[in-house]
Amino acid sequence: MDGFDWGAIWYAVPYMLQGTVVTLEISLLAMALATLAGVVFGLISASDLGILKAVIRAYVYFVRGTPALVQIFLIYFALPRIGLELTSFWSGVVALAFNSAGFIAEIVRAGLQSIDAGQAEAALSIGMTNRQSILFILLPQSLRRITPPLTNEVITLVKSSSLLSVISVTELTRSAQVIIAAKFVPFELYAELAVFYLVIISVLSWFSEFVEKRLA
Amino acid sequence: MSATPPVSAAPLLQIHALSKIFGEIPVVDRVELSVMQSEIVMIVGPSGAGKSTLLRCVNRIETPSEGEVLLEGVNMAGELRGGKLMPDRPTVTARKRRRIGMVFQRFNLFAHLSALDNVAIGPRRVLGMKLSVARALAAEQLARVRLSDHAMKKPAQLSGGQQQRVAIARAMAMRPVLMLFDEPTSALDPELVGEVLEVIRALAEDGMTMLVVTHEMQFCREVGTRVLFMDSGRVLEDTSPKEFFRAPQHTRAKEFLRRIHAVPE
Repeated sequence: MDGFDWGAIWYAVPYMLQGTVVTLEISLLAMALATLAGVVFGLISASDLGILKAVIRAYVYFVRGTPALVQIFLIYFALPRIGLELTSFWSGVVALAFNSAGFIAEIVRAGLQSIDAGQAEAALSIGMTNRQSILFILLPQSLRRITPPLTNEVITLVKSSSLLSVISVTELTRSAQVIIAAKFVPFELYAELAVFYLVIISVLSWFSEFVEKRLA
Repeated sequence: MSATPPVSAAPLLQIHALSKIFGEIPVVDRVELSVMQSEIVMIVGPSGAGKSTLLRCVNRIETPSEGEVLLEGVNMAGELRGGKLMPDRPTVTARKRRRIGMVFQRFNLFAHLSALDNVAIGPRRVLGMKLSVARALAAEQLARVRLSDHAMKKPAQLSGGQQQRVAIARAMAMRPVLMLFDEPTSALDPELVGEVLEVIRALAEDGMTMLVVTHEMQFCREVGTRVLFMDSGRVLEDTSPKEFFRAPQHTRAKEFLRRIHAVPE
């Protein structure tokens, strides 16, 4: 590897670490928001709440049918129009959560609906309402089935956070780009960037495997 | 079971012109039925006759297309106001369902809960009892079906017969006034049928009113106080077990009995 600029790699490390912190912060916040909203939306999708359900279906349809990058721009420019002046950091959190919650809603809905219909019938037969049946019978049973696709969604979310560089959030990818612009070492820095993401995702995967084993 | 309340003159359950139509096909066709307290009504007939659907319409797991079901004089579908039926909200339907217990062919025990909690969850979540009280009640019900030793097991660790007995205990824990059994032994290995029928027989002897869809003709004859024969959604015969097995009136009923080798005595 002639001419590989190790100096630039080492030079970039502290900046990239700072970027990593921002990426993790954004991802964690977005993940928490998305999981909360996604589970609620998923429960509504599987329930018998007519109008709310239709609204959720339309939202999921939109999230699935448009690129994350477009959603990020849309939210970044739309929020000020409705009087919400957020920093680009928080716009990013909202945009990622907006995207991810749609997919999580689908995961939760599919998980609930994969449970044998006899379970819900038995719940109704002892006088449970639909809501009680979902909460006490269907949801606990679908948790194990929901965990693997949910893990995938979290990984996707962390990777999607790199898109926030376009609204100048100084997360990991943006940190690398800033140094590339200053030093013009694109190959070295993008390689380093890939390694950083690999490490983050590996730690996440390891953690989720641990959780899955505990649930099994 | 505590002392049975006095038998009243009014029917416990009244079904009037009840139909369930799937697409164009009436699976249950204008059924009339009136059941007094402590009656044991056996429902027999070929598969596809609408027996299960009839049961499921009684507690509205299936919404009837037409007709009405009254339990203790209360319309299961809604409230009459000025001659018009105002449909119940789902929570009201759920409350009315508590009065009716149901046991399914495939048991449908809650897979994530122990036998004890399968029985306790109704009293706990639906009746709002404290967990300790609900569990004590559940333990009592499990003892009645002789499963105290298996209280902590998950459904998957129980035999089919044991699962079905837990399911009966689960329904009984809600103190229903009517029990629906939907082919309770059809999914069981032959050697496990007896223990489930014994439990149902004990409930019958305690005076529990029940509708039982079954293919167990011996049981039907011994425990039933009344037999309904259904075919193509209609109740063709409504008579005593003795009469039904001795001299069935309809050709369909005769054919049915011949096919299942229940030769008239």
